[in-house]
Amino acid sequence: MKKLYSNKLVIFSLVAPGLLVFMVAILSPIVLSVYYGFTEYSGMGEATFIGIENYKTLVKDSVFWTALKNSLLLAIGFICIQHPLAMLVAVKLDKLQGKAEGIFRCIYFIPNVISVAVIAYLWKFIYNPNFGLIKKVLDFVGYKGQVNLLGTGTAIWAVLVVLVWHGFGWGMLIYYTGVKNIDPVMYEAAAIDGATGATTFLKITLPLMKPVIQVNVTMAVISALKQMETVYLLTSGGPGNETQFMASYLYKQAFNSYKYGYGNAISVIFISICLIATVVLNKVFEEKKA
Amino acid sequence: MKKRGLATVMAVMMAVGMTTGATAPVLADEEVTIQVFSNLPDRTSGQGLIEQMLFDKYMEENPNVKIEIEALDDASYKTKFKAYASGSDMPDLVNIWGQPSFLSEVIEAGLLAELNMDDYADYHFIEGSLDGFSRDGKLYGLARNTDVMGFYYNKAIFEECGVEVPTTYDELVEAVNTIKEKGYIPISMDGTDKYPLTIYIQDIYQKLVGADNYANSTAAVESGEYGEEWLKAAQMLVDMASAGGFQAGFETTDYGTAKNLFTNSQCAMYYMGSWEMSMATNEEIPEDVRNNISVFTMPVVDGGAGAATDICAWNGGGYAITEKSDVKEEAIKLLNYMFEPENWSKLCWENGVCMSAQNFGDYLTGEETELQNKWVEIVNNATSLSGVTINDLGSSEFKTVSEDTSVELAIGSITPEDYFNTLSGLR
Repeated sequence: MKKLYSNKLVIFSLVAPGLLVFMVAILSPIVLSVYYGFTEYSGMGEATFIGIENYKTLVKDSVFWTALKNSLLLAIGFICIQHPLAMLVAVKLDKLQGKAEGIFRCIYFIPNVISVAVIAYLWKFIYNPNFGLIKKVLDFVGYKGQVNLLGTGTAIWAVLVVLVWHGFGWGMLIYYTGVKNIDPVMYEAAAIDGATGATTFLKITLPLMKPVIQVNVTMAVISALKQMETVYLLTSGGPGNETQFMASYLYKQAFNSYKYGYGNAISVIFISICLIATVVLNKVFEEKKA
Repeated sequence: MKKRGLATVMAVMMAVGMTTGATAPVLADEEVTIQVFSNLPDRTSGQGLIEQMLFDKYMEENPNVKIEIEALDDASYKTKFKAYASGSDMPDLVNIWGQPSFLSEVIEAGLLAELNMDDYADYHFIEGSLDGFSRDGKLYGLARNTDVMGFYYNKAIFEECGVEVPTTYDELVEAVNTIKEKGYIPISMDGTDKYPLTIYIQDIYQKLVGADNYANSTAAVESGEYGEEWLKAAQMLVDMASAGGFQAGFETTDYGTAKNLFTNSQCAMYYMGSWEMSMATNEEIPEDVRNNISVFTMPVVDGGAGAATDICAWNGGGYAITEKSDVKEEAIKLLNYMFEPENWSKLCWENGVCMSAQNFGDYLTGEETELQNKWVEIVNNATSLSGVTINDLGSSEFKTVSEDTSVELAIGSITPEDYFNTLSGLR
C-alpha cells in the first residue's frame, strides 16, 4: 500500500482531477480576466491591447469609488449590525429549548429560502411611495408627507436594510450551530460559580465561538463585496449610481456598456480586494488567538 | 470466396460513400432545427403571441422544420446576446435593434448575415424603416415595428378632473397641476428602464427644432456639442419632475409598476410607446380603464419650430440571421415568411398589438379599437419622424451613460449643463 502511494503516477492520477477543475474553472478565468483587463474589448470581435489604460480610467471613475464605498459600507453593516444581532438571537434561541426553539429557528431562516427575485420585489412593494406597506402605515398614523425610501439620499440605507435582513438567518444559523457545539457542562460550572448571563456570554460563549465568528465574518465581507442580485433587482444601482456595488458596476460595464475590457479590470481589483480582506481578517483573528 | 465477395461489396459501398458523401443533396424533408432567440418572453399575448403564432404556422406548413425558442426580457436578452456573441453557438434567428448603440458593434464583429434587399421589394416596408438595419448599402435585419412615443391617458379621469387633451406644453403643465389637485398622479413614468426619460427630452427637443431634429441630434452626438434647445428640453424634464408631474419614486419604478399605476386608475397619463396599444384589448386590465384609454403625443412648445405632427417615432426592434448559422438558408426562409405582408404586419394589426414597420393600411378592418385608430391617425398625419432617439445614436456606453444620467437629471442631482457636459465627452 505504501508503495502504491509513493508511485508518482498514482499520485498524479489522484491529484489531476482536482487540479484540472481548479485550473479550468478558477485559474483560467482569473488569468483571462487579468489579460482582458489590459485590453479594449467589447466582448465581440478583436480585443486591442491598451496596457494599464483601464486601470488609469478606474482611478478617475467616481462611480467605481461609490461602488467600492457602498460595498465596504455593506460589509461594515454586516459585521456591526447583522452579526452581533445574529449571535445574540442564536444564544437566545439556544436558551429557549423545546418547540419554540425550532419554530423561531425556522422563522428567522425563512428569508434565506425565498428567492432573491421575490425578496427584491417584496421590498420594492414595501418601499413603494405610492402604494407600499410603509406608505399605508404612515397614512394610517396620519402622516401626509411623501416618503420615498428608495429615492436619492436614502436609497443606500434602504438597500442595506434589505440585505442585512435577508442574510440574517444564514448568519444566525451558523452561530446557532456553534453555540450548540459548546459543551453544556461549562455553562453548568459557570452557573455553580455564580456567573451572570453576561459574564457567561463574554467568558465562555464568545471565546469558544471565535472560529465560527471568523468563518462567518469572512463570508459576510466577501458576500458584501460580491453583492449583485438583490441590488440589481431592487434599484438597478440607482437612482443614478447611488446604490451601485462593485459586482453590479462590473456587470453594468461589461454587459450594458459593452466595455468588457474595463469590466475585467474592475474584476481584477475586485478579486484583489476580496483576497486582501480575507488575509487581513485571518490575521486579525490569528492575533486575537495569540 | 465468401470473404472476398463481402470485401468487394464493402469496397464498392465505401467508394460510393466517398464519392457521394461530400456532396450529398439535402433531402427536402430532412429535419431542420432553427434556434430562435427572442426578446418577447410573454408568448400568450402581445407581440410574443404573434411571433409564436407565426412559428407554429410555419412548423405546420413545413413539418421537417423544428423551431426552438429561447425568450428573455429586454435587459436579460441583451446580456445573453453578448454572451452568445462572445462564443460561437449563437442561435440562428435573433432579435436585434436597428440603432447604432446596439447594432454597430454587432455588425463590426461580423455576427450577422447579409440579407438580399431584392427579396423584400414586395414586402411594403415603410420608406426608411430598414435604414437602421443597414450599413454601407448592405441589409442585416428587418424592422419589426413602427414605434411612436406618446401620453396614454384615461379619458374618465380627464373628464372627472375637467381637463382637456393639451395642445401646448403649457396646457400639459396646467393639466398636470389640476390632476394633482384632484388627488391623482398626473403621469406614470418608468424610471428604472431610464429610456423613457431620455426620450422625453428628445420628444421636447423635436418640438423645439421641428423637422431638423434627426440631423441635429446626430450632429450633436458626433460633435459632442449640444445647443440651447437641448438644455431647454432637459430643463423642461426637470421642471416636470420637480413639479410632481411624475409619480413619487418614479426613478425606481419599473416598467410593470408604472403601467399598473395607470391601468389601476391611480395615474391619469402614462408616457410610453405605441407598442402598448394592446392595453385597449387586454382583458386583464379593468374594463372601465380599458375602454377609456386614448393617446396624444407631446404637445407643441411655445416658440418652438416643431408642429404637433412632428412626432417622436422610430423603427427599433427587428430580426436578423446569424452569419455562422448552420441552417442559415432555412433561417432566412423563416424570416422572410414571418415578414410576408400577410403575416407579421396583418396579424399584429388585427390583434391590436402594434403597428408594423410595413404598410399595414390594407389590413384595416373597421373594427379597430379607438386607441388603434388614434395611433393610425397620428402616424398618417405625421409631417416628420424623430428617427432613432438620442440615447441610441451613440455607442453602447453612450446609451448607458445618457440613460443613467437622465435619471440623475430628472431627480435634480445634476443640472442640464452637467448632463450635456457628461455626454459631450462620449460618442
